[in-house]
Amino acid sequence: MKAFGYSQVREPAEAVRAARQTPGAAFIAGGTDLLNLMRDGAQHHDHLVDINHLDLASVADSSKGLRIGGLARMRHVAEHRSVRERYPVLAEALEASASPQVRNMATIGGNLLQRTRCGYFRDAASACNKRAPGSGCSALEGWNRGHAVLGGSEHCIATHPSDLAVALLALDAVVHLLGPDGPRQVPVDGFHLRPGNAPHVDTVLRPAELITAVEVPRPAARSRYLKLRDRATFEFAVVSIAAVVDLRGGRVRDVRLAFGGIGTTPWRSPEAEAVLRGAPLTVDAIERAGRALVRDAVPRQHNGFKVELVQRALVELLSGWGGSR
Amino acid sequence: MNDGLVGRPVMRVDGRAKVTGAARYPADDPVPGALHGFLVTSTVARGEVVGIDKSAALAHPGVVAVYTHADLPRLTVPTFPYIKGFIPLQGTAVHHAGQPVAIVLATTVEQAGEGANLVRIDYRAEPPTASIDDAPQPPHLPKPFRNRPNEIARGDAAAALAAAEVRLEARYSSPPRHHNPIEPHATTAQWDGDSVTVHETAQGVNLTRSVLSTAFGLPPDRIRVLAPFLGGGFGSKGPVWPHTILTVAAARLARRPVRLVLTRAQMFTLTGHRAEFRQHLRIGATRQGKLTALVETTTAQLSRTEESIFNESDSTSTLYDCPNVHIRQEGVPLDLASSSYMRSPETTAHFGLETALDELAWQVGVDPVELRRRNHTAVNQETGSPIRGKRLLDCYRIAAEAFGWSRRAPRPGATKDGDEYVGWGMATEAHTFAAAPATPPVTASVTIGADGRAVVRIATQDIGTGTYTVIGQIAADALGVPLDAVTAVIGDSALPYAGVSAGSATIASITGPVDRAARAARDAVVALAVADPRSPLVGVPAAEVVTAHGHLFHARDRERRDSYRAVVGRHGRPVETTGTLLNAPGHSWGAVFLEVRVHARLGSVRVTRVVTAHDLGRVMNRRTARGQVLGGVTWGIGHALMEHTAYDRSTARVVNPNLSTYLVPVCADTPAVESHFVDHQDPDSTALGARGFGETPITGVPAAIGNAVYHATGRRVRDLPITRDKLL
Ligand SMILES: Cc1cc2nc3c(=O)[nH]c(=O)nc-3n(C[C@H](O)[C@H](O)[C@H](O)COP(=O)(O)OP(=O)(O)OC[C@H]3O[C@@H](n4cnc5c(N)ncnc54)[C@H](O)[C@@H]3O)c2cc1C
Repeated sequence: MKAFGYSQVREPAEAVRAARQTPGAAFIAGGTDLLNLMRDGAQHHDHLVDINHLDLASVADSSKGLRIGGLARMRHVAEHRSVRERYPVLAEALEASASPQVRNMATIGGNLLQRTRCGYFRDAASACNKRAPGSGCSALEGWNRGHAVLGGSEHCIATHPSDLAVALLALDAVVHLLGPDGPRQVPVDGFHLRPGNAPHVDTVLRPAELITAVEVPRPAARSRYLKLRDRATFEFAVVSIAAVVDLRGGRVRDVRLAFGGIGTTPWRSPEAEAVLRGAPLTVDAIERAGRALVRDAVPRQHNGFKVELVQRALVELLSGWGGSR
Repeated sequence: MNDGLVGRPVMRVDGRAKVTGAARYPADDPVPGALHGFLVTSTVARGEVVGIDKSAALAHPGVVAVYTHADLPRLTVPTFPYIKGFIPLQGTAVHHAGQPVAIVLATTVEQAGEGANLVRIDYRAEPPTASIDDAPQPPHLPKPFRNRPNEIARGDAAAALAAAEVRLEARYSSPPRHHNPIEPHATTAQWDGDSVTVHETAQGVNLTRSVLSTAFGLPPDRIRVLAPFLGGGFGSKGPVWPHTILTVAAARLARRPVRLVLTRAQMFTLTGHRAEFRQHLRIGATRQGKLTALVETTTAQLSRTEESIFNESDSTSTLYDCPNVHIRQEGVPLDLASSSYMRSPETTAHFGLETALDELAWQVGVDPVELRRRNHTAVNQETGSPIRGKRLLDCYRIAAEAFGWSRRAPRPGATKDGDEYVGWGMATEAHTFAAAPATPPVTASVTIGADGRAVVRIATQDIGTGTYTVIGQIAADALGVPLDAVTAVIGDSALPYAGVSAGSATIASITGPVDRAARAARDAVVALAVADPRSPLVGVPAAEVVTAHGHLFHARDRERRDSYRAVVGRHGRPVETTGTLLNAPGHSWGAVFLEVRVHARLGSVRVTRVVTAHDLGRVMNRRTARGQVLGGVTWGIGHALMEHTAYDRSTARVVNPNLSTYLVPVCADTPAVESHFVDHQDPDSTALGARGFGETPITGVPAAIGNAVYHATGRRVRDLPITRDKLL
């Protein structure tokens, strides 16, 4: 690993200033992703600005919604009482993430910005447009079992690995940022970018911009998270679904569905939602929604099963939904 | 009289030191002035190094040296247990991705690592082949490896197959897999003139010594290898690998001690693996399920430089009674690193055999346990000599009863519980354990000091299996002293000779020598006592002296007693004895029965219940033996459901060289295991009735899981791992 500079900051504005003024700087929060990337040679930074001492780690719930500090640890959020009671999809997504040890360190901001687990991205000697723009994509014809069937391009089909982002997407959460030009807000829906012609750009985050908080409106309906993976715990999703379903008298009054593991970004499916909205929540309707979800899927050699699996997972999650809240 | 320590579930004597961090593993011992080494490895899999630019690396702060093939002296390529066929940094040819092409030495490990990043290597690359499917040439039969032929023929298998009442033909496969011990491989080399001390993560300190002796042309007595503790090896630390030789060479060139620790990713190309494997099996049988013919052709990945096969068909050849057998173990050279032994090498071929027997059982309508009973043999199929003390039938009975096998649903897919299908499966387990070589014979020494404490010295290793503890039990029992009065000193090639801790040979080969040395020490102390006028036992016939709890008693008058401490104290110098005893190879057997639940919609497989019964001869320590069962079952679950190394087909690089993407089971994947032992004295054992055992549990687990999945769902998966996409 290359030697790098290191400094600590106490105030958000100071963090932004430090990152802007130091060439090649990056923020370090829990370091659970960043350090692995640097060690694997997938990413280089000449300087790390340690943001762990910023006063941005609190979680507060009000009638309007939940405000999670950008530096709140995954464990803290998952164990928060209001989160468990009012935003179960969030608690479930967090508890299905990583391991207790990782969750003790890992932060909410860092989680949204974690990078793909694509083996080619993390192997400095392999061709990868996300890591080395223009070098090619090894996954298209290579080992792509974990890769996306939706939202890919000829340059990249890597999935975004965050479970949290999938849950936040279903909850219509908003990311609060502080940058050199001041604060701004970006909905989670649109925060992550599809690879297109620029797979090296994961999100709309601008240089030196800091995630200060995530705001989550309180859902009027029940929410749940289903995660399928290749072992029982401590593993990223093969397929995951966050669902917020407002069921009244057996009919879907409103529904928000977000998916992990199948898209290059946390994947919202307005098409699937539209099928279900206003319909009775029958297996038939859910299956039609599933078909709408995967209509444009582009399966590759090893990941084709995800197309079938995600439809089954949707039936699994929604057919057992039960009464309204 | 003895304390009856042997067989007891004694806690590990080194357990506290390990969990508190007091135990020093080979890379932990501080070596003053040591430089840190880091390997530069090839990014291409096939071709040649055509240019090396060290300048940026040498300019990096802390970097002391960069050595390449141009700097290293010519070394002699050792044969077994160096399983590679070539030593890197001796030429420019590249035989696999991840092959070392340079070694960087620096003051800190970070500087060495960054120095390695800065070495610029230019290659002339050729397109590699990474999978058996892509091999340009057909498989061939390699020459025998260590005198084991790759073709075995008994009777007339072709004719018997053609004449069989029932025939079954199937193809099975296993992906490549890596050992992944938690402790990475590490070497620290310290030269003193023409002698070198090597702190090595070695399953065999003497094997390492012999390989280094050949490579450097040094007499063995100039080489000392130390491995006091090991954080797992699973076979990957039995053979010696290039990084060890290169570290020793670099330390000599630099005239400084050098420490080198492999990264996890490097362990995926530099320390062996279980080769990709295919198996084509044809079985002939009677309508009652009695085997009449076994015809098997296997195909394993070979490398460009090494033709050895480590996925042996021992089980097909020896496990069941079958007069007509024809086995061909073929291989295909690919542009990958050489494979090697990995715990229970027969596991891959065993999977096909035990799955095929399950298929045969359904085909002929015989219960799978009964089918195995009908094919049971008490005769060594290869030599024709009787096998004494084989209790495999007891294993079937005990495990089946404990599991409740008789309540098994008669049809596949018949049992559903909620959203899941429930299935039961079983398989036989078997492993051939090795004998230590007869020359030099395995030798232990026992020294009793004036403090009455005993020190056992032997150049064996504790690879995490509990060797320290069992040595203590054996010696304490033989001497009649408390367990904590015995200290075992192992893991040092300067100690009395012992072999490698692999092939499940440790207990089988060291128990006899340790027991003999301890009994000799006891007899020597008794002799001193009865001849010593100052001893209350003076004049008592030696045969009438018993020892227990550190004391010596007159057998009939227990008031007349002395102690080890007093006797040796009066003697004025330690009592030292040695013992040797040979052992023969043999088998340990068992049966595994288990339950799986398969989610009807999502295809998720959970193993929910496991019952095992094993015949390992005498159980030396129930706790450590059970540890082997737990580890074996867990690994078997991994092999069945998730473990595989993914190679990129176009670059032949490993795509998942880390424990985040190379999945092994976590606790939530592993149910409670009910383990039973048929505890008896093997009449042919020279190890107090015990046999080698470590590799037996795991062998049947993948097949038992596949068989249970079939029972649950009616779906037969013949290609491991059984991931959910194969069950949707
Ligand atoms: C073994 C393992 C298993 C895992 N399994 C899962 C899983 O199942 N599901 C899942 O969702 N995740 C999983 N993760 C990922 C884990 O959740 C992330 O690594 C973690 O959330 C990152 O947070 P961090 O605070 O450690 O970020 P860091 O590693 O410190 O930073 C990550 C990135 O975010 C940037 N950054 C961090 N905080 C901010 C901020 N406030 N503002 C702007 N930029 C910032 C950093 O500059 C860096 O680029 C796993 C990780 C590991 C190591």
